[in-house]
Amino acid sequence: MLDLFPSREAGPFGRRIKRERGARIPVTVVTGFLGAGKTTLIRRFLASPDGQGTAVILNEFGAVGIDDALMRESAEQTILLGNGCICCVTRSDLQLALRALVIDRERGAVPNFARVVIETSGLADPAPILQTFSTDRALGGEFHIDVMLAMVDAINGEATLKSAAEARKQVILADRLVISKSDLAGAADLDALRDRLQKLNPRASIDIAIAGALDPERFVAPATTERSGFVAEAEHSDGIVSFVLERQQPVEWAAFHRAMETLIALRGPELLRVKGILNVTGCRGPVVVQYVQHLAHPPVELQSWPDQNRDSRVVFITRQLGEAQIRDLFAAVEALAKDGAREI
Amino acid sequence: MLTKDESPLTKGYQPVVWNFKLLEHDMLGGFGGMGEGMSVQIAPDGRRIIWLAHESAPKNFTAVDVSDPRKPKVVCQTDLPHANMRSNSLETTGNIMAVAYQTSKKDSKPAGFELFDISKPENPKSISFFDCSGPHSRGVHQLWFCDGEFVHCASGSRDFVPTNPNDDQFYRCVDVRNPSKPIEIGRWWMPGTRQGDNVMPPPRHPIDKGYRAHNTNVYPQRGDRCYLAYIDGGMFVLDISDKANPKKISQWTNSPPYTGFMHTVVPLFGRGLMLVTDESTENNAKDWPKLIWILDARQETNLVPIATCPMPDHRVYAQAGRFGAHNIHENVPLPTAWQSDQIVLGTFFNGGLRAYDISNPYQPKEVGIFMPPAPPGAPTGTIQINDVFVDERAIVYAVDRHVGGLYILEMDF
Repeated sequence: MLDLFPSREAGPFGRRIKRERGARIPVTVVTGFLGAGKTTLIRRFLASPDGQGTAVILNEFGAVGIDDALMRESAEQTILLGNGCICCVTRSDLQLALRALVIDRERGAVPNFARVVIETSGLADPAPILQTFSTDRALGGEFHIDVMLAMVDAINGEATLKSAAEARKQVILADRLVISKSDLAGAADLDALRDRLQKLNPRASIDIAIAGALDPERFVAPATTERSGFVAEAEHSDGIVSFVLERQQPVEWAAFHRAMETLIALRGPELLRVKGILNVTGCRGPVVVQYVQHLAHPPVELQSWPDQNRDSRVVFITRQLGEAQIRDLFAAVEALAKDGAREI
Repeated sequence: MLTKDESPLTKGYQPVVWNFKLLEHDMLGGFGGMGEGMSVQIAPDGRRIIWLAHESAPKNFTAVDVSDPRKPKVVCQTDLPHANMRSNSLETTGNIMAVAYQTSKKDSKPAGFELFDISKPENPKSISFFDCSGPHSRGVHQLWFCDGEFVHCASGSRDFVPTNPNDDQFYRCVDVRNPSKPIEIGRWWMPGTRQGDNVMPPPRHPIDKGYRAHNTNVYPQRGDRCYLAYIDGGMFVLDISDKANPKKISQWTNSPPYTGFMHTVVPLFGRGLMLVTDESTENNAKDWPKLIWILDARQETNLVPIATCPMPDHRVYAQAGRFGAHNIHENVPLPTAWQSDQIVLGTFFNGGLRAYDISNPYQPKEVGIFMPPAPPGAPTGTIQINDVFVDERAIVYAVDRHVGGLYILEMDF
């Protein structure tokens, strides 16, 4: 298409867009263990002016949809997914639910909604949810996860993180962490929890929910806008590591793409989440890339850089896949490219 | 099919704002019925003035200082000489403005266009008037004036006797290089629409809006072409390399089976594409569907429609007022106009303002909606967004046809 009807305005990745989500419907995903306060947090958001026009998708692990009943009165549209976790049995239900929302909106059967909030069941592994939004073939063409929140209860959080791998993974993959019930915890315990969370996920900011609520702006603000802290980290938890690959020089897209393709082919399942912005040779704005296991979001070029920093920065969250291995792979591919091998 | 109770309009009209940010709304002093003339001037004192034509009497045009788009200020609002006419269309180039005058009845005055010196936006001064009145003419409905030299317009003329009274306006090119003495230098009409033509008059459409000119766009990228919408006659590409003797290069029409009234033709130079709009003119979506069409124009003698911009279910919008396409941002070739060959902004009356990403022209994708609540006193009980203009800062100006005045927006996609 681009070849038939080339546009002078378009970059190598198509139309340059203002922000990562482009025109897609923004999604906030709220994860957190059972009793962490997810439903309260969402209800408080819905009651705020920013919460107007929000459709909510609830995933409850249990036959009775209690949260659904609580939520229905405040959301534009509430959809309760069946019995089971989004991550396993009902993942296709999530896709169907979101598709149905779009279709119903198009034909006017549901009011126009401007945002979707997904509350996962406490046991959910967030990785498959991320995957669901990864490609155009799934839901990536219509929806975009602006932010994935993980709620941690100040009283039980520490114990939960110790005992439950799912809870740790929720924290590790989150964009933003929210501590609830802080008023019930002592200052020392709260500090310890903060410390623990920061070690598990140094990229994420930590917010404190006040009376179960979060500043609505923090509930919806895209995670990319605050990612100043591309902090390298090496705490191992369940074999999970995260680190940042940085480049000061502009990146050749062909080399980066080939390196990622190789990585995905060899170790796709171990790439829990890869996200970053690249300074690509020939592009005016930063190119946002995102991968979840073997799935790659279509890269998009933004109209402008968020700040003065023009370095490429890519965060890797991996399991059983070391930082050194990935660095070596990238170095090798880049060296090949530099040597003039056009077909790497 | 949706029941009446399910329609957003009958449920009390639910506004939709999707990927547009409203910066300010100005009812223009209670005279907010706006036409299809919108043009931005940078005044000699540096102020940014948007000039707006009114859809109907009593007002002629309004100038709004939009230097700060969050604080618009009306600096000038003028009256028409009488109630049985409308200005509807205007354009500015530098400090000269051309305003179209169309009378309700034929053989009335003033019918034609007027040139103004707008160096002082508070006090526009008439330079000249180009008379187009006549026993079969209502004057000028629309004009195009972007180079400071020629006014291209849809106009009647004293010496033009149409074969059907609805076919009174045709393409005229007027030399205004001496703005105090405009002179017609060329014209073209669809064969068969003028008495004495050697071809049969065209067959009438069920909703007969006339075989007559509407938009008459000319761009410096192809100064030898006029992209002419011809209402019930579809659209034409004219060769105007000899302005005194325009020649038809190609025609495309969708009607029948569609219901006529082709309104605007915007070529996207470089991409080999063309945007063509219909205008909805009937209430309650009776003339549905009125669409924005995308044409493969790589071969100008063989224009091929490849897509239309998707629209919502018309039944939802058929309750009140007009619903369907009208005008689009036309990439007016002036430094004060935004230029895009990837985003189409179109007005759809009660469907509001809609933006489409046509990166892939085979699959236009809606990326923004601005459908505000019905302004106070709206005769149809709904918004009727009539026209749109985007300045080079990417600030979007949309106007309501009846009472709502000016909406100033930011694109957020």
